[in-house]
Amino acid sequence: MTAPWRPDPGLAGERTRLAWARTAIAFAAVGAALLKKELEIGLATLAVAPLVFAAGRMAARASTPEQRARRLLAVAVTVTVVAILALIAALLIPGPDSLDQLLPRHG
Amino acid sequence: MRVGGATSSGGAGDPGGAGMAGAHPAETEPDARFTMANERTFLAWSRTALALIVAGLGIIQLLPPFPGVPWGRHVLGVPLIVLGALAPGAAYTEWRRNQAALRRGQPLPPSLLPRILAVAIVCVGIVAAVVVLIAAVR
Repeated sequence: MTAPWRPDPGLAGERTRLAWARTAIAFAAVGAALLKKELEIGLATLAVAPLVFAAGRMAARASTPEQRARRLLAVAVTVTVVAILALIAALLIPGPDSLDQLLPRHG
Repeated sequence: MRVGGATSSGGAGDPGGAGMAGAHPAETEPDARFTMANERTFLAWSRTALALIVAGLGIIQLLPPFPGVPWGRHVLGVPLIVLGALAPGAAYTEWRRNQAALRRGQPLPPSLLPRILAVAIVCVGIVAAVVVLIAAVR
C-alpha cells in the first residue's frame, strides 16, 4: 500500500470515537433501565458511562497496543460484571404479579 | 510503522511465508485503520451484550407472568442475560486473535459469535412462541 499519507483516511479515528460514544450511551441506557428496580446497580452502571466516553477520547489518539488491549479488557470485564449483577437481580427480585401492579391505575 | 515491507501488503495469499525464516512470519503493528476497525467490532459486540442484558432483565422484571406458565419469564430472560455475560469475553478473545493475525499479515480467523448469537435468538424465539401458546391454551 503506497497511498499518500493523509490525516485519518476514512475517518477511522472519528468513527472509532463515535463507536465508543455509542457504547457509553448503551451503558447509560442499561443503567437507567436498572434504576427503577435495582437502584445501586443502576447508579453504578450509569457511572461507568462517562468513563467509557473518556476511554474513547483516549482511543482516538495514538496509544500503545498494550494500552488499547487494557481499555478493551476493562470494557469486557465491566459488561460481564453488569450481566452477572443483572442475573442475580433477576433471580432474587420478583417480577410483577399482574399488569395492574406494573401499571397502577389512578382513580 | 512499516519498515520491512516484505509482509506489508495483504498477506492473505502468502501461505508459504514460513519458508522464509522458518519460524513466525514477521510481526509488525498493523495499519491503524485495521486496528481501529477491529476495536469497533469489539465495541459493537459489547453493545450487543448490553442489549441482551437489558432485554433479559426487561422480560423478567417488567412483564406480567404468563398465565399457567410461572417459569415462562425466567426461561426466556435468563438465557439472554447469560449470553450477555459470555459475549464480552468471547469478543475480547476474538479481538486479540484478529489483532495477532493482522500483525502477522495473515487472514483473519473465522468468528463464531454471529452463529452463536443467531442460534440463541432463534431458540429464544421458539421458546417464546411455545410459552405464549401454552399460556393461551390454559
